[in-house]
Amino acid sequence: MSTVVPTMRHVRGFDIVRPLSVGMLVFMMLPLVFLPLASIFIFGTSNGLDKFWAALTQPDAVFALKLSMATSFWATVFNVIFGLFAAYVLSRHNFWGRNALIVTISLPTAIPTAVAGFALLLLWGPYGTLGRFLTPHGVQLMFTAGAIILANIFVTFPLAFGVIKPVFDTMSRSLEEASATIGATRWQTFWHVTLPSLRGAIVSGALLTFARAVGEFGSTILVSGNLAGRTQTAPLYIFAKFNEGQIEAANAIAIVLALFSFLIFSVLFFARDWLDVD
Amino acid sequence: MSATSDNVPPIAASVIGISKRFGKTGVLENISLDVAEGEILVLLGASGSGKTTILRIIAGLEQPNTGSVILHGRDVTNLPARERGVGVIFQDYALFPKMTVEKNIGYGLRIRRRRRKEIRKTVDELLSLVQLEEHRKKYPSQLSGGQQQRVAIARTLAYKPEVLLFDEPFGALDTQTRTHLRREIRALLRRVNVPSVFITHDQEEALELGDRVAVINKGHIEQIGTPYEIYNHPATEYVATFLGAANILEGVVREGFVETECAQLPAQLDIQKFRTGDRIKVVFRPEDISLSRTDFLKPGHLKLGPAHIEEVSFVGAYERVRLRLERPGEDCENGEQPSYYLTTETPENRPHSIIATRPKPEASSTQVRIGDRVVVAITSFTVLPGS
Repeated sequence: MSTVVPTMRHVRGFDIVRPLSVGMLVFMMLPLVFLPLASIFIFGTSNGLDKFWAALTQPDAVFALKLSMATSFWATVFNVIFGLFAAYVLSRHNFWGRNALIVTISLPTAIPTAVAGFALLLLWGPYGTLGRFLTPHGVQLMFTAGAIILANIFVTFPLAFGVIKPVFDTMSRSLEEASATIGATRWQTFWHVTLPSLRGAIVSGALLTFARAVGEFGSTILVSGNLAGRTQTAPLYIFAKFNEGQIEAANAIAIVLALFSFLIFSVLFFARDWLDVD
Repeated sequence: MSATSDNVPPIAASVIGISKRFGKTGVLENISLDVAEGEILVLLGASGSGKTTILRIIAGLEQPNTGSVILHGRDVTNLPARERGVGVIFQDYALFPKMTVEKNIGYGLRIRRRRRKEIRKTVDELLSLVQLEEHRKKYPSQLSGGQQQRVAIARTLAYKPEVLLFDEPFGALDTQTRTHLRREIRALLRRVNVPSVFITHDQEEALELGDRVAVINKGHIEQIGTPYEIYNHPATEYVATFLGAANILEGVVREGFVETECAQLPAQLDIQKFRTGDRIKVVFRPEDISLSRTDFLKPGHLKLGPAHIEEVSFVGAYERVRLRLERPGEDCENGEQPSYYLTTETPENRPHSIIATRPKPEASSTQVRIGDRVVVAITSFTVLPGS
């Protein structure tokens, strides 16, 4: 996306405000954003790339990264499908309590993640509302990869929905009506007409959900049990290694996560227009 | 024209006794109309008159409360839109934005699981019919409004619809493109010979496009007939008004003629509808008026009486003259209101004058100025029941 910003001339000759304001913006972002990010890379690679590589390929580190990817992936799959379904229902049907439902779906982003994790424990944990009936039967959901997925689903619940719903709302009804009069079934209309128009929204909703899930910490640390090599995700690994004083180990994973989210947001930024090309 | 011969084209689609309510507001009441094979029927009405609802009911996008829809002898009232086989051209064209022109046109056949060869052949034929061969790989957003509309038509023709329904298809276009496209589409429909229903609020469009025109007002049909009939012989004051300016003289039925304040006009009236002494309205169009300096009348002209010119304005293609008729026996200024008016204005501020429009040759041969006294004659008129 390249947008040409039209500029208005305020003064004769050289306008000092322009370089000054741009410079100020960069200067303010320096300690807040740029320097913290830069220091990860500076520290992580200061002992040489071979040390960095060794820290990265430790079995627990590799496992943590893989676990993060896998749990985030499944949470994303679920939330995109759910978000699509919820957006369809809530924009196509009007019913009593519709607005209440929209608010409820959007709620999980407003809840502190530690509270979300705690809530899941209180429901599914060994002494939880439902968990206490399941535990005697050998069903233990908490402190497993499944618990991490549940926590991820909870905290990223409204993200895909929030991206997809506005597209549904603004979509012209006549497209679907045209498809119906041409002879398509509801399913054919959804598959051939509705879904292609949602392509961009689905991809950006998925990336947003995935990026958020990979970085999830607060709820994961409560429900996962934080067992290295078993239920320890990448952010938990960073925290654990930092506490043990293994800064290089923590740093290697931090670099990977930072690069990864940078990549996702670049894709998000540039791919949206490309996917939405008519 | 009224078809009285034996080879009346068979009826392709009909709507019988349709009524529709949205909540408590009635939108349509007891609408019945037929579309003959190969015919273009235009539904003409103001916005909110219910014309779009009629179209949506035929298409199956809306369910009527009573009445039925028949397509080629088949009662489709309870069938969903996709099983009716009608083609709808939406106001915004509703082309699928993520499909190319050829994919759009082939859509109806693809979902019917036709063989790829057959689809390709049909798409090729339709592309050449609507003259868009070189645009086949483009997306709808890369086409002009007129081109998009042709794609929309081709897309419906692909599956051989029973009837084509056009929902204000020229609404989004500028005047020049409209006129051009209107002629193009009329020619196209003549070629493919599919019965069509058009919706419009533009009277000029209705008259030019339709084989027949149905004037819809507040959910009922005011009149249905050929453009000539509804323009020259409006059945109601609403029809007369909706199709442009109409002058109205109030009067009374007499034996063999009608009498108005200023003139007696010979009229052969339907004795079923009018009795001697009934109050009536005489309706005539501005272009039915002829002005002259003398009392000498050309053959076929009926004298209304002398009048004073109040206003002369030049409106491009013709000259428009506002006149005040002289009332016999008294001067215009005193007493009761004159019994004639122009229908373009709202009832409260209707000026008590009549409007004449004159083509340029006539305007220059008999020049008039404000204050002049002229003799007014009319060439044709219609009598409506008075209120």
